[in-house]
Formats: sequence, structure tokens, C-alpha cells
Amino acid sequence: MPTRRDLLILAVLVALAALIPLVTGMRYIVTQATLFFIWAIVVTQWNLVLGVGGIFSLAQMALFAVGAYSTAMLGYYFELPMLLAMPIAALVTVLVSTLVGAACLRLKGPYVALLTLAVAQMLYLLITNDTACFTNPPSGCMPFFGGVRGFTRFGDLGFRELLGGKWYVAHFYVGLFLLALAVLFSLAIIRGPMGLAFQALRDNPGCAMSRGVSKFKYQLWLFALSAFFTGLAGSFYAINFAAIGPTVFSISLLLFLMSMIVVGGIGTIWGPLLGALILMLTDEAMREFGDWRDIGLGLILAGFVIFLPRGLMGLPVARLPRLSGRRRAD
Amino acid sequence: METAAGDDQMEEPLLTCRNVSKHFGALAAVNNLSVKVKAGEVLGIGGPNGAGKTTLFEAISGLNPASSGEIIFQGRDITRLPPDAVCHAGIARTYQLNAGFDSMSVRDNVRVAAYFGRRNRRIPGFRFGSDSDAQVREALELVGLADKGDELTGRLPVVDRKLLMLAGALASNPKLLLMDEPVGGLNPKEIDLVMEVTRRIVGRGITIILIEHVMRFLVQLSDRVLIMHHGEKIYEGSPQGLVHDRNVVDVYLGEGASQRLGALMQQVSA
Ligand SMILES: Nc1ncnc2c1ncn2[C@@H]1O[C@H](COP(=O)(O)OP(=O)(O)O)[C@@H](O)[C@H]1O
Ligand SMILES: [Mg+2]
Repeated sequence: MPTRRDLLILAVLVALAALIPLVTGMRYIVTQATLFFIWAIVVTQWNLVLGVGGIFSLAQMALFAVGAYSTAMLGYYFELPMLLAMPIAALVTVLVSTLVGAACLRLKGPYVALLTLAVAQMLYLLITNDTACFTNPPSGCMPFFGGVRGFTRFGDLGFRELLGGKWYVAHFYVGLFLLALAVLFSLAIIRGPMGLAFQALRDNPGCAMSRGVSKFKYQLWLFALSAFFTGLAGSFYAINFAAIGPTVFSISLLLFLMSMIVVGGIGTIWGPLLGALILMLTDEAMREFGDWRDIGLGLILAGFVIFLPRGLMGLPVARLPRLSGRRRAD
Repeated sequence: METAAGDDQMEEPLLTCRNVSKHFGALAAVNNLSVKVKAGEVLGIGGPNGAGKTTLFEAISGLNPASSGEIIFQGRDITRLPPDAVCHAGIARTYQLNAGFDSMSVRDNVRVAAYFGRRNRRIPGFRFGSDSDAQVREALELVGLADKGDELTGRLPVVDRKLLMLAGALASNPKLLLMDEPVGGLNPKEIDLVMEVTRRIVGRGITIILIEHVMRFLVQLSDRVLIMHHGEKIYEGSPQGLVHDRNVVDVYLGEGASQRLGALMQQVSA
């Protein structure tokens, strides 16, 4: 169960973040913060899988895409209200994740990475290679999964109508709310029985098993449950940008997000959030350097892996109290 | 903790190993071994290093399943069960080397067994609940580690680590406890302490199989003794009979140790 101090830190962070739209009139800052919330949700959940469960999954962005595409398709084909489409999309993501997990979690580390990456690639090809027209709206031929162009105009949460040009402020708060829930969930996992089970499995797998801990079962649960917020983040991403296309499968985005976890501190509670913040700021600072930006991100990732593999949360200052949560994965 | 089966079930053994073998390549680490353990009994296992004692425990606990033969526990075939299922069936073990969860506090260490070891949890919970708190406290009190709950496992002295393994095993509420060299590497005072704790566990009605080289520990606690050599049983019978068995004296005890042991047993029974 989350400790009182974890909850206090979370409350303070949420309260501070909630002030952003009040102190800045710049739309760009608010919308970038919303994007930060979305990526932060993805990395807190990926961190659970990677750092807490020790599952080397590269399927996180594919799951994110499942959430985003489910939302868009439910809206586009069935005209479902987005408020309803969001939880349904999250549950669809959990279902897909359970199937992927059941297929690959009995494999050893590197094979899990390969298989999850293959699943992501399959989904990508399924979407982009399908060029047959499923419907023929005035805007042109529409493949079932949207093809390379993806989906637009599938609905929104109603804030554009309600608030006019200020709709993005409402999305900011929706994003913040979802992130707070996602962090609460990761706290409950890390501080609760599942976190203890995984810590035991890392410390001594044989001993953990003879004390009744089933590795496969808890990895599958973790993989399935963490997909809920990953799918929800994807769903909100699609709604926020009113568009979704196959670009979410890009490897550089996957690396960008993984760098957040590595820079912040894999397996820690607050590390991925810190990493997400730092990488988004760095990315912003390097925006003018064009191609050098990717190289810069690559250098940062390489530097951390070599010199600070436990991330910023692994620094002595961060480790003093139990800020970094239970011990990271090896 | 529940007490083990009473007298009425004595004729049905709690554990039966029937023709159990474990091969590592050409080596038969355990070779066609059969043994029965009654509920409430303490069976001691001795034998030279490499005799296959630990391998037998690995097979029973499911960590390294037997190559052939059957292991029956409470009438149920557990030969091929995975370790977590063996634990849920009611068998807990300790290890020859210090095995524990080094990055955890002593309390969390025991909590793993209390929470996950008692029954198969299909759905993971989000909190531990007060019953597991009580179970952890009870197990720590039983071994005398109640006031060390907050200490880090990796920093404990050897004797406390041995006691902690016992507490972890007990927290899963076992009917059968497998102890692998519980006093290996301890000094005489510490051995007495563990002996005392083991007697308490026996008093709870928990059936025990213990492996030990320290003969005074083995013979004083065991109702029955089994000696292994090259994976085979070379002796099974009373502790008193040990020193009179030519084979055991020759391959394991040696003349001197056997005489000292005989003297000790006379002293204890007197
Ligand atoms: N995992 C293993 N792989 C190969 N050989 C093993 C393995 N475990 C044990 N052995 C061998 O099996 C024999 C019995 O070992 P063990 O059961 O540990 O003996 P004991 O506990 O009686 O000292 C030894 O010869 C040992 O080298
Ligand atoms: Mg041994």
C-alpha cells in the first residue's frame, strides 16, 4: 500500500502542476505539459513492466496504439461518445496485453524483447499494408485501420464546444488527472504485495518460488494491469490531437520514452517522471538543431547507460530516504 | 498454526518417496531412494558431502524435479509440481546456504511467505492486511527474531539468517518442514539456540526432515535417522543404532567420532 509520504509527494506535485495554466498564458506551454502527462503515464506503466516486473517488453507503444486506435475506431465507425470510448479502449488494451503476455512471458529475457517488438511490427504492418477501401467517405478511400493516414474526426470530449479556444486547458487537467491515477496505481503495485513478490524474485528466484510466489502468474498480471493506463494514455492522446496514425509506432519515439526511464532511474517510483520531464525539456532545447537533436538524445541515453545506469534516482542524494522505492531491478 | 494429523492417521505416511532418482548426466545424485515420513515425526538425514541429501530436498520441493520415482504428500502426487504449488501443498524448506531476500527487511522477508505461501492467490491484492501482519509476528517470535524486524536481511549475522529462513518457512504454515543443515557453520552456543527453536517447532506438531552433519544435533532431535552415500540409503533406523552399524561407521562417522557419539547418547539418555 502506498505510504503516507508517497501520497504527500504526489499531492504536492499535482497541486503545483495544476497551477501551470494559471500562471502562464502561453498555449504552447500548456499543450506541451499535456503531452508530458501522456508520456509520463506511458513511462510510469512501462517502468512497472520493465523495472519492477523485470519483463523486457518493447510492446508498450504498440499497446498505446491499441488504446488510441480503439478509441478512434469506436468513434469513427460507431460514433461512440469519447467518454465511453476511453474506458472501453483501455479494456481492449488490457485484453491484447494479456494475450501478448501469455504468449511471451514464459520466454527468457532477450526473447521477450524480440517477440514484443515483433508484435509491435506486425500491428504496424497490419495498419499500413492494408490499402483496400473499407468505406468511401467524401474525403477519400478509408482502409479498415485507417492506413498510412490514420483517423481524424472521430469525436472529442466536448471541450471545444464548451470552452471554444480554451479547450486545451481542460485537456491539460484531464491529462493531469489521468497521470495522478496512473502514479497512484504504480505506487500501489510497487509498495504492495506485487512489488514485494517481484523484489523477492529479483533477490532470490528459487527461494521466492518455494515461498509460494509464481513468477509467470504475477508477471502476467502486471503486464495486463499496466496496459490499462497505457491504453488510456493512447486513447487520450488520440482525442487530444483529434488524430491518430501509424507514426506512434516509430522506433525513435520508443527510444525517447525508454530514455526517460533510464535517465530517471529504472524501477523507482519517481524516476520515470523526473526522466520524462528532463527529456522533454532537453528535446525542447534541442529543437532548433534539427538532425542533431536525435544525436543529442542518443548521446544522453548512452551516457546514462554507461556512467549512471541507475539513473538520477540512483544518485546518493536521491537515495538518502526511501525516495527511490523498493530496490531497482538488476 | 495448525497441528499435524493425530494418531488416527499414523498408518498413512505424510510423505512417501518411492524409488526416487535424480540424474545429472551420468551421475545418479539420488539413486532409487525410498523413504516414508509419518506425521509428527522428525527424520534426520546424514551422510558425506555429495551424498545427494540436498538434491533430495530439491526434488521434494519441486525446484529440481526427480528424474524418476514418485513423491506422494498427503496422498497426492507432487512429483512434478512447481515449487510454489509444493509450498501451497504444505511443504516449506530452508537452504544449506544463506538464502533470503537480501534487499528486504527481516519483516518483509517473512511477509513474502505469510502472504504468498499459505494459499495460491489467483488475483493479486493491493494490500497485505492485518492477518498477514499477525502471521509475520508469530513466526518471528517463534524463532526469537521479534525485535529485529526492521533490520536489513543482507546485514544479519549468520545465526540470525538461519533463524530467519526458519521463520520464513514457518510463516507459510507448513505441515512438513525440510531443514538443510540448519546449524552448519554455527558455534556450539548458537547450535543450542537453533536446537531449542527446532524443539519449539516440533512442539507445534510440524513434521520435520532435517539434514545435518553436526551429529549431536541430528541424533538428539531425530526420531529416526537415514544415512545416504552416493545417492543411496545405507542406513535407516534409530539414532542409537547408528554407532553400531559397521557400514555407517566406515563410510561416514569414522571410529573416533562414532565412539564420542556413542558416549554422548548414553549421557543424554541417562
Ligand atoms: N545442479 C547440479 N548439476 C550437476 N550436478 C549436481 C547438481 N547439484 C548437485 N550435483 C551433484 O550431485 C551430487 C549430490 O550433491 P548434493 O545433493 O548437494 O550433496 P549433499 O547435499 O549430500 O552434500 C554431488 O556430486 C553434486 O556435485
Ligand atoms: Mg547439501
